[in-house]
Amino acid sequence: MTPQIIAIGSWQLLFSLIFVLLAGAASLTWHLGLGRSLLVGTLRTFAQLALMGYALVFIFRLESATLTLGVFGAMILAALQIVHGRIKAHQVSLLWPMFGAMLVSYAVVTVVVTGVIVGAKPWWQPQYFIPIAGMIIGNSMNALAISLERLFSDLRSQRDLVEMHLCLGADAREASQTIVRGAIRAGMIPSINAMMGVGIVFLPGMMTGQILSGVDPLTAIRYQIVVMVMLVGSTALSTVAVVLLARRRCFGSGDRLLLRAGWR
Amino acid sequence: MTGEAPLLAFDAVSFTYPGKTAPVLEDLSFEVAAGRFVSVEGPSGSGKSTLLRLACRLEAPDAGVVRFAGQPVDAMPPGLLRRRVSYVQQTPALLADSVRANLRLAFGLRVNRDLEAPGDGRLRQGLDEFLLEKISLDQPARELSVGQKQRLCLLRAMLLAPEVLLLDEPTAALDRDNARRVLEIVKGLNRHQGVTIVMVSHNPADARNATARVRLGGDR
Repeated sequence: MTPQIIAIGSWQLLFSLIFVLLAGAASLTWHLGLGRSLLVGTLRTFAQLALMGYALVFIFRLESATLTLGVFGAMILAALQIVHGRIKAHQVSLLWPMFGAMLVSYAVVTVVVTGVIVGAKPWWQPQYFIPIAGMIIGNSMNALAISLERLFSDLRSQRDLVEMHLCLGADAREASQTIVRGAIRAGMIPSINAMMGVGIVFLPGMMTGQILSGVDPLTAIRYQIVVMVMLVGSTALSTVAVVLLARRRCFGSGDRLLLRAGWR
Repeated sequence: MTGEAPLLAFDAVSFTYPGKTAPVLEDLSFEVAAGRFVSVEGPSGSGKSTLLRLACRLEAPDAGVVRFAGQPVDAMPPGLLRRRVSYVQQTPALLADSVRANLRLAFGLRVNRDLEAPGDGRLRQGLDEFLLEKISLDQPARELSVGQKQRLCLLRAMLLAPEVLLLDEPTAALDRDNARRVLEIVKGLNRHQGVTIVMVSHNPADARNATARVRLGGDR
């Protein structure tokens, strides 16, 4: 049986803007001051997704390993820029160690999922590699931002405790062990929570998208299970790697804590 | 400062905090012989605490050398240095755990594995010596008064038998009675156990027991 997909026409797409108008009306009525943001957000949604759609059509048709891996690299760089911009620890240089840790952990998980679990041939087949990499990077980008923010704020606010450990002879690893553990946990909890609630609290976007486009729900569910566990794995890998690297950068020679309260 | 071989020495040390332009310490030199009780004096912002932090490598000088037992401190493994040159912070820092766990904390660290962790008998004796007879080893350490916490931190440092004790305003947050108790303990450690003391204090009365003084400059 060929799955019957109902395509969304241009007029129908425009009609969907009624929901934005509703939000705009709420903003006007309640003086929320969100009109401009709503307008920009809507335009960006249309433009960015249209561009992405055309880009994907092009990339899928070309089937080039170089282009696929180039897109993968660009996605990581964009995520790196977002995470790095959000963290407030300019006393420590993190850009390149973070890039290395993100590249390795994302590459390992993406290649295992596409090449081994899904069995795409070749393993970099863009139709699989790019969406899966996108989910991994997008998801763990948030985890990284949460973990790093927690790491830096705790190292600053608990500087006395860290230095107390150092004064008793602890090395940087021992002195920051509890803080590092808390930071990694903070980053991982959202993806673990997502596993707890999936199928009960919410239906994930990927599965919903596949079902809407006519894929057998049982196939969609299998994909979704792989996605959920891969997200936990990639989040754990990248968070642990980046937090450990960041911790090393927060201590100078002689295990001196470089981060200071009130300094960014 | 003395004719004896110095245990701790600052040789033309300068230090500027990151992001600041004016140095907090500039070309500072002094020596402390073993067994001395040195009082570090000076107005706020003159670098008194920084001096202590440099002595145990919590900060690194921009210029000059800090030496302990004749060796530059930056050539010594930091854990071993800090075991011998113990810094007790101005604000008592304690784990959210029992008095016992706080006192034994150092003995679970890698660098101190060659040391035997003190048993309850030794800890009890220490508490008595540090005028903490009324507190129990099972008591949550963070529930103690500031004065008790300060003495507990001193005892914790002393369990490692350091050669130098760096004290950062140990009586700053204490009432007169508690301040007197802490000073009595510090004096006893210096006189009876031969521990070299380098103590920062705003209070001139605290410095009465000192055998030498380091005076730092005005506000910067």
